[in-house]
Amino acid sequence: MLLFWIVIRQLAEIEAMATSKKVITREEWEKKLNDVKIRKEDMNKLVMNFLVTEGYVEAAEKFRMESGTEPDIDLATITDRMAVKKAVQCGNVEDAIEKVNDLNPEILDTNPQLFFHLQQQRLIELIRNGKVEEALEFAQEELAPRGEENQSFLEELERTVALLAFEDVSNCPVGELLDIQQRLKTASEVNAAILTSQSHEKDPKLPSLLKMLIWAQNQLDEKAAYPRINDLSKAMLEDPAV
Amino acid sequence: MPTSASASDSSVAVSATLRQSDLLPRLASSDGVVQVKALRELKNRIIGNRTKKLSFIKLGLVPAVADILASKADAGDGRYSDLLIQSAAVVGSFACGFDAGVQAVLDAGVFPSLVRLLSHLDEKVVDAGARSLRMIYQSKLAPKYDFLQQKNMEFLLSLLNSENENVTGLGASIIMHSCETVAEQKALCQAGVLKKLISLLKGSLSQRDASLESLATIIKNNVEAVSEFVGSDSGRALRSVIELTKDRYPRTRLLASVCLIVIRNTCPCYLQDIGIKTKLVYLLLELHDDPGQVGDEASFAFSTLIAGSEDLQKLAFEANAIDKLYNHLQKGALHPKRVEGILLAMAELCSKLDSCRFKFISLKALDLVINGLTQDSAGVRAAACICLKSVSRSIKSLCAGDFMNEMIVIPLVQLLDDSCTSVQLSKSMDSDLRLNALWALRNLMFLADSASKESIFGELEASSLASLVSDSEPLVQEQALALVRNLVDGCVNCIEFVFAENGIILDAVGRHLQSIPKVEIGIQGMYLLCNVASGNEFHKEAVMHQLVPQAENGTQSFMIKFLQSSDSQLRTAAVWTIINLTFPSVPGAFGRLVKLRNTGIISQVKSMVNDPCLEVKLRIRTALAQFMTSDDGSI
Repeated sequence: MLLFWIVIRQLAEIEAMATSKKVITREEWEKKLNDVKIRKEDMNKLVMNFLVTEGYVEAAEKFRMESGTEPDIDLATITDRMAVKKAVQCGNVEDAIEKVNDLNPEILDTNPQLFFHLQQQRLIELIRNGKVEEALEFAQEELAPRGEENQSFLEELERTVALLAFEDVSNCPVGELLDIQQRLKTASEVNAAILTSQSHEKDPKLPSLLKMLIWAQNQLDEKAAYPRINDLSKAMLEDPAV
Repeated sequence: MPTSASASDSSVAVSATLRQSDLLPRLASSDGVVQVKALRELKNRIIGNRTKKLSFIKLGLVPAVADILASKADAGDGRYSDLLIQSAAVVGSFACGFDAGVQAVLDAGVFPSLVRLLSHLDEKVVDAGARSLRMIYQSKLAPKYDFLQQKNMEFLLSLLNSENENVTGLGASIIMHSCETVAEQKALCQAGVLKKLISLLKGSLSQRDASLESLATIIKNNVEAVSEFVGSDSGRALRSVIELTKDRYPRTRLLASVCLIVIRNTCPCYLQDIGIKTKLVYLLLELHDDPGQVGDEASFAFSTLIAGSEDLQKLAFEANAIDKLYNHLQKGALHPKRVEGILLAMAELCSKLDSCRFKFISLKALDLVINGLTQDSAGVRAAACICLKSVSRSIKSLCAGDFMNEMIVIPLVQLLDDSCTSVQLSKSMDSDLRLNALWALRNLMFLADSASKESIFGELEASSLASLVSDSEPLVQEQALALVRNLVDGCVNCIEFVFAENGIILDAVGRHLQSIPKVEIGIQGMYLLCNVASGNEFHKEAVMHQLVPQAENGTQSFMIKFLQSSDSQLRTAAVWTIINLTFPSVPGAFGRLVKLRNTGIISQVKSMVNDPCLEVKLRIRTALAQFMTSDDGSI
């Protein structure tokens, strides 16, 4: 965050100056970094926000004790949310649906798209387990009526049922539905919906700050050479190539 | 894949019947554990599944759940919490998203039980009760609270002051649903509800949204309430709503802008600076990008923003509103609600400015509107008519013949006889459609060439035009008369239209003018007769036949009433007709003059020589001059 502001400020300064590329040395850059004061509590809040949103309940608990940062949500609700997420990730979709309904019956009733995706995931799991009869019955009874209500659901349903038509599903045009990635996608959709229902933002703030940092660096690249962060995981300043 | 309606519907019905059979006895079991299990199972089956909700309602499961709620709602201890939570959740789900469900729930008498849950000691029971009541309050069928009664106001305040977010949300929903009159708005402001809602603007996401929505309800069209709101916290409340138009959540941005639009439309003195107006225009156009409900509602909000205001329509035009809306409409496979909203917004944009209409026509947006005329949704069809009516006000385009093609006229005419679909339509919707279709046709027929008139008349047929003239809705009558008036305007051949099928139209008009429900109908009818009276001898005599009561049974001609009307337009139309009838140097002029004198019309005209309306006065003088020309001394 700190770096972000410096980059932005630098951008503004350079904008006002000449068009030739300016070179900023490491010393100058670090001096500027030291001039910006950021409250530790704010940094802690960012970390807590990340832990809570991503559902790391134990880490959040520890972090709270160590840093004294209060989470903006009841930590108990994270456990419930994580149980739902995990159930989808493991393919126990029916269980996940029941858990969501216990948590708040409004979520699936007022979010037809999410409900459809969960049901679709359930169908995928039935097909994965070779339960063809059951899969067909389920598709007809639960999913077909939704397809009638919504054209795009119908298309997705047809794509899913197409899985039954292939001998070798791993090598068919709709094979990616069986991929673990599909489960993760569905799981994160449920996670976001639960968070929204709890009046909580569905994405953690930290990743968007990093995105902003990258954007700002790219903007600055056109105007100046400066110590850049290239590896976000290490956050090391790298000397400008002059 | 059996996805056709009949196949899947029947299979759902059958399997649901087979499997529910044990639910009913289990719900009625004396063992609480069995009941809870049955309730949970029922809940998980119906959530998100409208088809199943309907079949279970038909099978009578709602009253069984209602019984559980009624018998245990007062048990304050925690023993029955689970039972109550599950029953409330089931009831809430039945009521979610469709009126048939709400009706079934209300019929089962669940409402008072749910209200009792709000004072339960277990917070989770309160949550469940409040959620279900909120579901009910999404529907128009929900019971209204009369806020003028003290106990209702106290109840509402207790909800709004609750710590529980679901309960404050319920309070807001009740306001939105129940507050309709200025007296109720006043009572709510006096009781401090406005202040409370302002404080909720700082609350959680859901509280903020609920607060914005109910604020709009309380201050709408109420100058005092708007002033109180704008002045509160030395303007801070207003500033925070303005700030919320930049919120990261689209729904919040939409609701905040709706709130600002209500303020502006109620008190035009506020929010006058061009910056905020422009911002609202851009914001609402941008919100159309939201694929969900927010995008659907954005166009309705946009319409209320620009309604009737030429400068806002100009701003919108400069913001490329027509192109943007057109691009959305072009996407296809849109929810009918969204198509309806966009068409209405286009109609509003084209209601005043020719620049908008030209842009609209240059984009060939007309094709999309024509497409809308034949959609399944009655709302879309009506919106397409309104749009057409609005665009066709451009005289230049009418003259350029931009509209005259069968693609437009035929579907419009078919809408007039929309009986095949009226089964699904409410009666008001039905007349709305007829009204707007007629209105569009009327505009299209203004100064149209005779070939176009021939073709539309061929489609419409005299008998159905005659029945539209005698429609049950006065607004429809007015537009039908106006359409015929435009049809018979111009050449003598066109006048013949009203004589088709033995003059069925003219007779209907004459009958109708005997007693008019509103003056506008008289004006249109009179100009219609005036146009006919400009024709040949035969035409003039036919008009006379309508004006002068045949059987001299002492009834006064409606002409006398019209000439004495307080509406100057009606008087003008009536005098014009007399001028056309008594135009000298045609053989029958004198005979008509005599007849008119015998009915007292001439002396009425003479008495109007100093009419307060200049236009009427001028026409009266023309008429009097004509009388003099034809006069042989006997008049």
